[in-house]
Amino acid sequence: MTQLNIPIESTTLPNGLRVVISPDRAAPVATLGVYYNIGFRIEPRGRSGFAHLFEHMMFQGSANAGKMVHIKLINSSGGVLNGSTHYDVTNYYESVPSNALERVLWLEADRMRALKVDDENLRNQRDVVKEEVRVNVLNQPYGGFPWLDLPPIAYRNWSNAHNFYGDFDDLDAATLDDVQNFFKTYYAPSNAVLLILGDVDTDEGIKLAERHFASIPSGPQPSPADIDEPPQIEERRGVVEEKFGTLPGVAIGYQSPRRVTPEWHAAAMLDQALHGGRAGRVYRRLVLEQQIAVDAEGGIHYPVGDLFDYNGPTLMVTRLLHKPEYSVDQTIAAYDQIIAEMKEKGITAEELEPIKVKFRSNYFSMLEGGHGASIPRYGLMHLLACFSLFDDNPKLVNTILGGFMEVTPQAVQSVAQKLLTRHNRSIAIRQPAKKGAA
Amino acid sequence: MASAPRSELPAAAPPLTPARPVIWPPRVHKTLSNGLEVVLVESHTIPKFTGELFFRSGNAVAIAKAPGLADMTATVARTGTLKRTSREIEEDLRRMGSDLSSGAGADTSVISFAGLVEFSNGLLGLVSELAQQANFPEDEFERERRQLIEGLRIERTTPGFLASERLRRVLFGAHPYGTISPTEEQVTSYRVEQLKEFYQRYYRPGNALLVMVGDFSPQAMLAQIESAFGSWASGPVEEAPDPALPELPGRRVYLVHLPGSVQTQISVGNRAITRKHPDWLRLTLANSIYGGAFNSRLVMNIREEKGYTYSPHSGAHPLRQHGYFSIGAAVRNDVVAATLTEIFYEIDRMRSTPVGEEELDDARSYLTGVFSLGLATQDGLAGQLATSTLEKLPDDYLETYRERVLKLTSADVLDAAQKYFDSAHAQIVNVGDRAEIESQAAQFGKPEVYDAQGNRI
Repeated sequence: MTQLNIPIESTTLPNGLRVVISPDRAAPVATLGVYYNIGFRIEPRGRSGFAHLFEHMMFQGSANAGKMVHIKLINSSGGVLNGSTHYDVTNYYESVPSNALERVLWLEADRMRALKVDDENLRNQRDVVKEEVRVNVLNQPYGGFPWLDLPPIAYRNWSNAHNFYGDFDDLDAATLDDVQNFFKTYYAPSNAVLLILGDVDTDEGIKLAERHFASIPSGPQPSPADIDEPPQIEERRGVVEEKFGTLPGVAIGYQSPRRVTPEWHAAAMLDQALHGGRAGRVYRRLVLEQQIAVDAEGGIHYPVGDLFDYNGPTLMVTRLLHKPEYSVDQTIAAYDQIIAEMKEKGITAEELEPIKVKFRSNYFSMLEGGHGASIPRYGLMHLLACFSLFDDNPKLVNTILGGFMEVTPQAVQSVAQKLLTRHNRSIAIRQPAKKGAA
Repeated sequence: MASAPRSELPAAAPPLTPARPVIWPPRVHKTLSNGLEVVLVESHTIPKFTGELFFRSGNAVAIAKAPGLADMTATVARTGTLKRTSREIEEDLRRMGSDLSSGAGADTSVISFAGLVEFSNGLLGLVSELAQQANFPEDEFERERRQLIEGLRIERTTPGFLASERLRRVLFGAHPYGTISPTEEQVTSYRVEQLKEFYQRYYRPGNALLVMVGDFSPQAMLAQIESAFGSWASGPVEEAPDPALPELPGRRVYLVHLPGSVQTQISVGNRAITRKHPDWLRLTLANSIYGGAFNSRLVMNIREEKGYTYSPHSGAHPLRQHGYFSIGAAVRNDVVAATLTEIFYEIDRMRSTPVGEEELDDARSYLTGVFSLGLATQDGLAGQLATSTLEKLPDDYLETYRERVLKLTSADVLDAAQKYFDSAHAQIVNVGDRAEIESQAAQFGKPEVYDAQGNRI
């Protein structure tokens, strides 16, 4: 079963806002999202971390809903809310009992229309974001490994290569003018998609979307950002000190194909053959059999994204933590053996078929829950948004599996031979610091 | 821009529309003749199912033999059976589009699984094999032991782990709940016979609960379960020991020294109650007002007003025999004392001043609404069913939860705060760089200082 029948209705309002409705009335619960076609990849130069800081500012107040009103109104309606910044999109989402649907639409429309924040809000959220960076990166073992380590090694275009969480100096330099300019440039209705999923009638959902969003003035479409990379012609390596953790880490990233192309479908199967859990070749060989590594994971656009949510250069990443009695070179040599076998011998149909079954199963789970455990249908929302903004076709959700299921063993081997070359890869090494006296 | 058309939007939030009723799906709740308790619920959101096979014995029951033994047993149990090698198990799982994990907490061991319904029979067969015929291969055991040791070394550099470890130790002392993780030496001295013994004793149908939710008909699934698990031999069931808890000497301060920390993990806690206690919902509501929701007092204060921290939170944690309440925040080093001051200020406010009607209403709506979000996913339903059945809560627990929350009053919240936000016996743990924070911690009492290995320094 690869052709799905998830009900999806979409329309575009006169101001350019795309609206996607996917009803399922089984439980009296709705999930809503607004996705803007702006991520940390294309934040302004000299303002690293700004897209994420800006996401925080969207919770600080809008024209008719001051600071904390968004949070208070959603929580007190029995719902939860959050936002997140990705490479190429930023999202804001809520799951609520469905009787709060219109209230959520009102809130999202209010902050799409006009952000109302002051210097005090900016100072406050700058502090909060710094603690977020400390708790997730600077004060954690393997913090940012490899999602912050690899880009500056792998890329030459600042957009792809910079510190997405933000250098503290850049965060400090951000001004209220930056905030309002960013809002004007990237938060126009025509640069966004509104999604309503769950307990909603399609016609009623569209009517409510029109009522609340249609009068938001359209704005100019931002000019397309330059995220092109010059072709990579040699292996790139970098070393980052690991301040806390005790094991060396190695992350290997290969430049990956553009989304929704035949090569992308084949690369996804290749990725699963290598990184599909404990049955995947990398984990089986390096952790279970040779016991060089104690952990091995990976994927396309791993670890802060997935196959579906990028729209520009990205990597297929393998992340290893290995035993200290093996050198980095020995570890990479053992990994290279796996890669060489894949390129030389390819994959049999007997190995590929189960990979497709597992891929299909993972896809269903993503639709229902995906990345946000307490947000029903987060994954479906995320896919609908990415297929709307990047491919202009939310209904790809129902048909996209077909392309993966048709991948042949030959296609996997070809894409392996093309992608998995030394000159197409970058390696980030986490070297544990020498421990002083505690 | 010239005159944009005046918005027709109301300047105030629209009211809630009438709520649709929240209807919990019917459950099939049955005990097989060998004692295996089974709970099944249909959920047709995706063509999959999810399940958990619990054993009501975890690390606590074997603490005297070896801390962490239940967890190691569960880990190695998935690496080989009388019929399948480790590699065959992993490849069979993939062939069936399935995921499986195993582990143990203080009170339970669990095999969790999910897969495509078209392979439910095969997956149940494998789960049944892991539960009955695991053979604990020596080489698999040695590999997992080394991985566990490397994992422990990394945990000892993780502020959140170090804070939980110290807090649980000071709250529960020598009671099994006082130990959340084995030492490296303890893991080194595990023997595979200990794992086999734990497995033989506790992986028994009379000690087990199987919860499954998914795209199936319960009657048909019950027949599959009978055929996969029906012949499993029963055995006696043993309760975990429950030694006396230590006397808490009043408010105490602890500092775990993690050199080079650029932030301090604060954890403040006191002993509280289990989920079966009649005050449980009162405590839950008080917690959600204090620090258990985004829109809570602590989050507003130390995040949204003061910017000390990113993700402050509080929670009531029910274990089977006892429970505890804790507050956590990772803060910048120069505001450790300021944060503790606010944590206790907000506790004192909860304990002394009744919550107003609006705040009470908001919190009740939050709890009841979020509870019903569980209806919409297979994982959400499975989690709620597992909790209510494992704890042997009343059959109508899910159905009556919302009305019981809605009946709670401001006096209930005040009562719960006075009993369970026990600031007089609060244990204060700070994980960070001693040189940066010791003088601040000392404002709340003389700190007992530990290194990251757990040694007093």
